[in-house]
Amino acid sequence: MSGLRERLNRLRQETSTSNPPAEVTNGGQADLSVREPATTTNQNLPDAFRQIGVELRENESGPFLLRRAVYSLPHQHGDYELGALIACAPNLRPLAGRQNKQSEPAAIDPYRLLFLDTETTGLGVGTGNVPFMIGFGYYTHDSFVVEQTLIRHPGEEKAMLSYILGHMQDKTHLVTYNGRTFDWPVLVNRFILNGWRRSGQEPGHLDFLHPARSLWRNTLPSCRLGTVEEERLGIRRGQDVPGSLAPALYFQYLSDGDPSHLHGVYAHNEKDILTLASLSVHFGLLLGGIVDEEGMPEGEEMFRTATWLELHGVTDAAERLYTALCRRQDRYDSSWGLSLAARFKKAGEFERALPIWRNYAESAERSAAPKLDAHVELAIYFEHRNKQLLMALNYAEKALELASRRAKLIGDAARRKEEQDSLRHRVARLRDKLSREGK
Amino acid sequence: MNPYTQKAESVEEWLSLLRALPELMENVTYWHTQPAKPARTVPLPDSVHPQLVQALERKGITHLYTHQAASFQAVAEGSHVVTVTPTASGKTLCYNLPVIQKLLADDSARALYLFPTKALAQDQVAELQELADLMEADIKTHTYDGDTPPTVRQAIRNAGHIVVTNPDMLHSAILPHHTKWVKLFENIRYIIIDELHAYRGVFGSHVANVIRRLKRICRFYGSEPQFLCASATIRNPREHAERLIGERVTLVDDNGAPTGEKHMVFYNPPVVNKQLGIRRSSVLESQKLAALLLKSGIQTIVFARSRVRVEILLTYLQETVKHELGTKTIRGYRGGYLPKLRREIERGLRSGEIRGVVSTNALELGIDIGQLQACVLNGYPGTIASTWQQSGRAGRRQGSSVTFLVASSNPLDQYLIQNPDYFLGRPPEEARIHPDNLLILLDHLKCAAYELPFEEGDKFGEEKLTDLLEFLTDEKVLHKVGSRWYWMEQAFPAHNISLRSAAQENFVIIDQTEGHRVIGEVDRFSAPTLIHEEAIYLHEGVQYQVEKLDYPEKKAYVREVNVDYFTDANLAVELKVLHVDLESMSGPLERQYGEVTVMAKPTIFKKIRLRTHENIGSGPIHLPEEILHTSGYWFSFSEEESAKRSANDMQMALLGLANVLIHLAPLHLMCDPLDIRVVPQVKALHTKRPTIFFYDRYPGGIGLSQRLYEKHDELLEEAQRLIRGCGCLSGCPACVGPIEEVGLLGKDLALSLLEGTRANP
Repeated sequence: MSGLRERLNRLRQETSTSNPPAEVTNGGQADLSVREPATTTNQNLPDAFRQIGVELRENESGPFLLRRAVYSLPHQHGDYELGALIACAPNLRPLAGRQNKQSEPAAIDPYRLLFLDTETTGLGVGTGNVPFMIGFGYYTHDSFVVEQTLIRHPGEEKAMLSYILGHMQDKTHLVTYNGRTFDWPVLVNRFILNGWRRSGQEPGHLDFLHPARSLWRNTLPSCRLGTVEEERLGIRRGQDVPGSLAPALYFQYLSDGDPSHLHGVYAHNEKDILTLASLSVHFGLLLGGIVDEEGMPEGEEMFRTATWLELHGVTDAAERLYTALCRRQDRYDSSWGLSLAARFKKAGEFERALPIWRNYAESAERSAAPKLDAHVELAIYFEHRNKQLLMALNYAEKALELASRRAKLIGDAARRKEEQDSLRHRVARLRDKLSREGK
Repeated sequence: MNPYTQKAESVEEWLSLLRALPELMENVTYWHTQPAKPARTVPLPDSVHPQLVQALERKGITHLYTHQAASFQAVAEGSHVVTVTPTASGKTLCYNLPVIQKLLADDSARALYLFPTKALAQDQVAELQELADLMEADIKTHTYDGDTPPTVRQAIRNAGHIVVTNPDMLHSAILPHHTKWVKLFENIRYIIIDELHAYRGVFGSHVANVIRRLKRICRFYGSEPQFLCASATIRNPREHAERLIGERVTLVDDNGAPTGEKHMVFYNPPVVNKQLGIRRSSVLESQKLAALLLKSGIQTIVFARSRVRVEILLTYLQETVKHELGTKTIRGYRGGYLPKLRREIERGLRSGEIRGVVSTNALELGIDIGQLQACVLNGYPGTIASTWQQSGRAGRRQGSSVTFLVASSNPLDQYLIQNPDYFLGRPPEEARIHPDNLLILLDHLKCAAYELPFEEGDKFGEEKLTDLLEFLTDEKVLHKVGSRWYWMEQAFPAHNISLRSAAQENFVIIDQTEGHRVIGEVDRFSAPTLIHEEAIYLHEGVQYQVEKLDYPEKKAYVREVNVDYFTDANLAVELKVLHVDLESMSGPLERQYGEVTVMAKPTIFKKIRLRTHENIGSGPIHLPEEILHTSGYWFSFSEEESAKRSANDMQMALLGLANVLIHLAPLHLMCDPLDIRVVPQVKALHTKRPTIFFYDRYPGGIGLSQRLYEKHDELLEEAQRLIRGCGCLSGCPACVGPIEEVGLLGKDLALSLLEGTRANP
């Protein structure tokens, strides 16, 4: 048998095991000026770390790196001041209640929130995915502090994790963007791998990915944090290293030891933490009933916001939005109009649903590819609510006609047949009722 | 025979009727009878938990068979155990008994069950559930596989006492996420590996590595589970179990279960063309025998070697017996049927509603279908072990059963049918694995590193671990800090690694004459020469032309045609010897074993007119070359021997001999015939002499050629016996190959070449 080395080398030639780490072109120098001079001690850290305020820390589990930035409360990040959360954080209570499945959620104390974002070496929540940078933020009485831990190699992980655990002690909630299904499970993996077991209370979550999706799923091109902050929070990052490049940059650092590869990652992660605070302000204001209608050019978003607020018990603001929606010019040929009518119907407010259905029905009759939902709703309404059987029959017959027009258009007879059958059934029943009434 | 129903009262009665049918009996080459064996039992041991005793009594179990008691004892003593017993001998109790015993005593204890297929896993859960219900004990048993709904997964991870899964799921879902399974791994007491014999070859080599990973994770959580294994009869159960789990094991093979009388009938279809050595189709003969059994009311299972054959046999049988039985009582069973349908068929077989079933080897494993009365094997299943497994499907604890082995015309079948001693006088094959195949080992090292960092002094396999880890570090997959190696790549390694070998990937053949209809499949390695574009593909006697071969998607689109030619593709195989590891002389033959590179590329195909066999055209084949780095064994003839005959005669002789050897080799290796390949060369580059090469068809080799190297003499002896014993005149598909391939003198040439080497040792 030839030597193991020799055989391994032959394998190397023939199998393309792993692609070499992609060359990363850092799209420009990130803004990393230090807001507050860090208490740098004497460490022999490379300049490229010290330039951006990274210092060496050590605890009983060993060393790791820490970077700390302190922002004053009036600091403006996008449309909001960071300090604005102090006043509106309590409004987040119903959201926290829903997300953590608590019927009687505790009050939200801004000083006990931990804003968390990790940069990891891979995707998914498998045991081999390592968070090499953990960024977190928290409020003090006069500032918002961002701390970023970094491990120079996986051997420093335990020290870093122990530091994070210390900061979680007095916190009630983790504020994240997708942290419930990503950042937190990844951290739990690391805790277990380093010998800690879950004990007692899990931290609560305020994960803004879910509310962001509820509001903007259909209005924004994506619900990625970068898109949301730019479109709705007024935040312009300028040159930013995308998070997806972070693993490759870290591998580059591991292989050549040059910390400047990581400058962009530090900047990106820090911005993410700040954005989490802005996002909290945004939703805090929203749940406080402060809705910027001007900022919602599309009825779709206004409608989503209204139902979301209603779900979280902010009914007054929701009602204001519903009223505004009824006044909008675009209400009859939009995606949300029928949903709005359905909401009114559910609430028993037929007088508000009726005009919407009528308008829908009119425009449907003019349409080349008509939708017949409004006709069906009207037929039901007049048959069962209003007891005007002739009107009901009229809408049902019209619906049947539209249905057959649609069927021709689509040519999918089987799928349409069910719909037509049920309409025929309705028409027949209405005729029957009418004849029994002797008309 | 009941004169009114035409039903036989028993298998014995039916057999006596068969003996009176000369037109069938003249095809029977051998009739073997195994006498009945009474049960050997011992009372339930006193140590068995009273709740469990009660439940067993309710199931009518008051005694244990000797092997069940022996394994219970061995487990209690703390050993790893492998139990070897035939089908239907109550082997599940061998491991369920100790597991339930432990769970009754300790609610926090956990057990992990591994089965090679999902269907077996489901059977097991049903059985354990029944036992738990009888005891009114809160023992939660769950399957955890690809079909498990995400909503219940978390509950299973935290609260399942017994988790039943398969190696693939363990490899890709459980181990890489072991932090979600803390409860299981911290409290795991037993790991059950049933159908141990199924884990052989490439698949077994992968599984052995998955088990290395599993043990690593268990150690991390501070547990050291016992392995309880069960296997069908193989020659080396203890050795195989020890290699697979990397621990010393206690063997329990004293089968105490009773068996009824068993008849094994060797049946060779009659010759219809003596000159060409063509026999009646084994499919038609199998169908005839099965129909005869079914019409007499005997519950019968028919095994066929391919999915397509299952379908053909099923159609014929349903047609033949539809008046007596109705088509719903005869069913097919194979991979590709939906789980719900399979469960329905299994139930029907147990209840007796279904009278006959035609199956691939899918029913060879321990799925519970009760015990049938008769079994018809359409072709030799490939190994002695498989044959006994399949034949074990027929055989009740009382009363007789019968198995027919219907030979096909391939040389292996013909050899066996003419040498029944080979089959009957020999223990079943060895199960072999090679977990340290470099490629397989490296794949699992990556997965293992992803799961937990490696530390200096760790062990994983037999190769030098630090060298391998350094290699992966150079490749920037791992990162070394101090004395530890950490996973440092973005990828999730388990996703790109499949435990099932490439040979199991098939190309499907889609007929688009009318609509799209899948008519069959071809294994990956035959695809380039059988279903290249423009090839004529024969299916159930109908000609199809391949219009498009979608190589990456593994689909061939064909259309029915009617032409007077068939196609024959040339495969250029180049073989280079890289390194010779072993060599020795065997008489005048020089034999060697080492590493080889094989390059195979289909070049052109010829169109050959039917009947006249003239070449009427050709065309190129555009498919990528396949390069394979593997291990090989070869032997070469002396220069004197080659001087005795012309190059052309030498070519024919080598070809004929190679044809025989490649059919015999899988017999010794207990491997899929596709796993080992042969290349004869009149003047090999490496030896400069006439040489026959064998190589493992898996990158890196899986130990098959090495085994052949060791068995060289035995192999040649059998080849000689087979060629001499063949009844054909000058070569046929059952020995050196048809005369179209090896010429009119092929048989004599091969035999004289072989005899030359045997005569002067």
